[in-house]
Amino acid sequence: MKVGQREPNVIPGFGITLGFTTFFLSAIVLIPLAALILKAAGMDFSRFVDVITSPRALASYRLSFGASLIAASMNMVFGFALAWTLVRYDFPGRKFVDAIIDMPFALPTAVSGIALTAVFAGNGWIGQYLEPLGIKVAYTWIGITVALTLIGMPFVVRTVQPAIAEVQRDLEDAAETLGAGRFYVFRRIIVPTVLPALLTGFTLAFARAVGEYGSVIFIAGNMPMKTEITPYLIVIRLEEFDYAGAAALGCVMLAISFVMLLAINLLQVWGRKRMMVSR
Amino acid sequence: MAARFFATRPFMSIALDQVTKRYQDQPVVNDVSIEVGEGEFFVLLGPSGSGKSTLLRAIAGLTGIDHGRISMHGRDVTHVRARDRGVGLVFQNYALFRHMTVADNIEFALRVRRMKRVERVARRKELLKLVALEGLDERLPGQLSGGQQQRVAVARALAHKPQVLLLDEPFGALDAKIREELRRTIREVQRELGITTVLVTHDQEEAFALADTIGVMNHGRLLEVGHPHDLYAQPATRFVATFLGAANLLLARQGADGIRFGATPVTAEASEPMYAGREHEVVAVLRPEEVEVAQTREQLSSDYIARGAVEEIAFTGALERLRVRLLDEPCAAQLLGSGSAAEARVEITRTQPERRGLPLRAGTQVALGARRLHVLPTPISSFLACAPTEAEAEELAREPLLESLSTRMKTRVSVRAIDGLKETPAPLAGVAAIAGGDKAAATVEWLLQHGAAEVLVLPKNAPSPTRVYIHWSDEAVRRATLAVSASLLRHVSAEAVYLGIVPEGSPATGRAAPMRKLLDARVEAQQRHGLEMRTELAIGEAVSEITRNLSAGSAQMLVLGITDITQAVTAYRNLLAAQPGWPVLIVFRQPDVGLRATEHAA
Repeated sequence: MKVGQREPNVIPGFGITLGFTTFFLSAIVLIPLAALILKAAGMDFSRFVDVITSPRALASYRLSFGASLIAASMNMVFGFALAWTLVRYDFPGRKFVDAIIDMPFALPTAVSGIALTAVFAGNGWIGQYLEPLGIKVAYTWIGITVALTLIGMPFVVRTVQPAIAEVQRDLEDAAETLGAGRFYVFRRIIVPTVLPALLTGFTLAFARAVGEYGSVIFIAGNMPMKTEITPYLIVIRLEEFDYAGAAALGCVMLAISFVMLLAINLLQVWGRKRMMVSR
Repeated sequence: MAARFFATRPFMSIALDQVTKRYQDQPVVNDVSIEVGEGEFFVLLGPSGSGKSTLLRAIAGLTGIDHGRISMHGRDVTHVRARDRGVGLVFQNYALFRHMTVADNIEFALRVRRMKRVERVARRKELLKLVALEGLDERLPGQLSGGQQQRVAVARALAHKPQVLLLDEPFGALDAKIREELRRTIREVQRELGITTVLVTHDQEEAFALADTIGVMNHGRLLEVGHPHDLYAQPATRFVATFLGAANLLLARQGADGIRFGATPVTAEASEPMYAGREHEVVAVLRPEEVEVAQTREQLSSDYIARGAVEEIAFTGALERLRVRLLDEPCAAQLLGSGSAAEARVEITRTQPERRGLPLRAGTQVALGARRLHVLPTPISSFLACAPTEAEAEELAREPLLESLSTRMKTRVSVRAIDGLKETPAPLAGVAAIAGGDKAAATVEWLLQHGAAEVLVLPKNAPSPTRVYIHWSDEAVRRATLAVSASLLRHVSAEAVYLGIVPEGSPATGRAAPMRKLLDARVEAQQRHGLEMRTELAIGEAVSEITRNLSAGSAQMLVLGITDITQAVTAYRNLLAAQPGWPVLIVFRQPDVGLRATEHAA
């Protein structure tokens, strides 16, 4: 990678933009993160280990990351279907559906949380039909997953949409004249072409889900060991004025998220390299 | 030959029968029938938007058709899916699978068919050799040049040994040199495999270089099919004459004594006269390379056509291009141009030896001769807008339908005031156009009696028709009506329907004869004029049946062949006066003359 620009560029001001970027990245991302780590480093190591490996904490990691992974995976499937429908078909109300996709972006997360709880609670619109079947949604991990799916959906749809629009019809037509059936075309042509965008969408939805707080706490019920997500546990620690404990849990989240995002990114880079070497 | 509509001949590799495809009720492919022989290289040539790519997709099975039949090697594949048709398709933008290597791309069709690995590899090597890309198996499409990518696409399309290879503007995205190279490769591959091939292009040079047979399309219709040389030397339509190479279109008069420009007789190859026994206007094609240039008329070794002043000289390597403005002389040829007649210029190309023989500069006056003239067998030469006053005639000439027709036909609309229909007219040339309304019938009668052969009655702001009904009152005028209809329909995207009418109360056993007439008419339209038309048989009184059909939809038009002026004008008076009314093109032939022409043709 080239850092400096020797040749005059049509857009001037490389120095200024780089400085500006570095400054803001530091001020709003790196410095707070460093403060978080410093805070956690303030306590002695054995206590740090105790805090982050307490059964309650372990249960919350499992729930947070597990539910986020499931939610992001579901988004990948449904988000793809939604984006596909919006790009490929013209139907009355398409514009409306397209606009409504962004709603979870705009809604205060607490509002979606309350709305979901009302719908999925034992006496809610949908909950009352699920309850007799033995499916409890509100106040269980299922409810958490539903909430995380809702808020992550737009990320997948919006990243996949342009990618689907780019899949040339000609590719499908070519595959069809070569004898491929619909499913074969989907598996061998469409999915590989859209995959990088799908992975990006997945990453964004996952990252958002891990950090989500507002919508989850209403529907989760927040029972320790059962339906308590890590961000909620951090808030509890803060309310107990246990700042170091909160910081320790935060560091763990940071580390796991970082590793997972890095892995997905590497996967993507690898995929992209395979797709279009030396354009 | 009549059997062609009912049985596909076995040696035909691809046969299309009256294929129509509509988008939002507009036909983009309009009643196209084509037969491509085994191993033939067929080029579909046409400007963008002519429907040629849609037709190719229909052959491939990627686009459904609304009407007609497609068969391959005698098998009806109209409703067979693309993947079961056994065709190979090559796209303009290559459409390679970018996430797969060259090897995977080529083997795609083989994998789909679960061919064994060993055989797959062998086939792939064979194909890569065929397109001269050996050793590039493991590259990704992104690592190849455009020309190489298209070669891969060709190899991929051939992998499953299709019976038919279809190419959709395959050279469109390549630069000139690569284009020529690839063109040669495709021609070689096609010859080697002997595979029936259909290629779509808008580039006439490409068509000439590749085709065994060229089919020219415009506005969704297949205008002409033929060997490249025949189409170039003897086009039947204005469009083919001007699209396939450059052409100067000239208005001439054809009489019993031959072809004349003004008063100057010329020799020209002409098909049989459009209207035997009566002098009429025709359109002659003069290729730029067939124009002889000399200083004076006496020095010309070919037929003199006009004097002109050189306006523009361009050097293009092997050839010199001249644009010459014709000087206004009474005997000069009349030139049809895209703009007004005054802007029309004769295009001339001269070889270097010719140029050295008579160097020219802009402004020099020269005499022009025609070494070879070809008269188009088209009955509509030009339009003459007729109205009581000059101003009204001018207004009529600006009618949208008339304007679009004359533009598309690359012909002109002259205006003539026919005051009170009293004066003895100067000879009428071309199709007379008049306004619809109460007086229309009387004007039609007067014009036909004073020498007009075709009259177009135009209601105000009539839209371009989507359906044209064709009817004639007498078999004697059948041939002329069909010729005029064909000429009209080449320039509008409408479907043609021949309306046969049997009087009510005629015995049921008598229906066979009219049915046969219907089918004969259809065969004649197809074979003589390349016009595909539907046929409908109505029972009842002619005028009311026609009016009923015209009223049944919007944007309809009528072509009406008549032999008896007074009777026809009386019968159709109300139809011509109807509000808002329909455009009606009346074709008149005197019965004896018409009959003689029919016999002569037979």
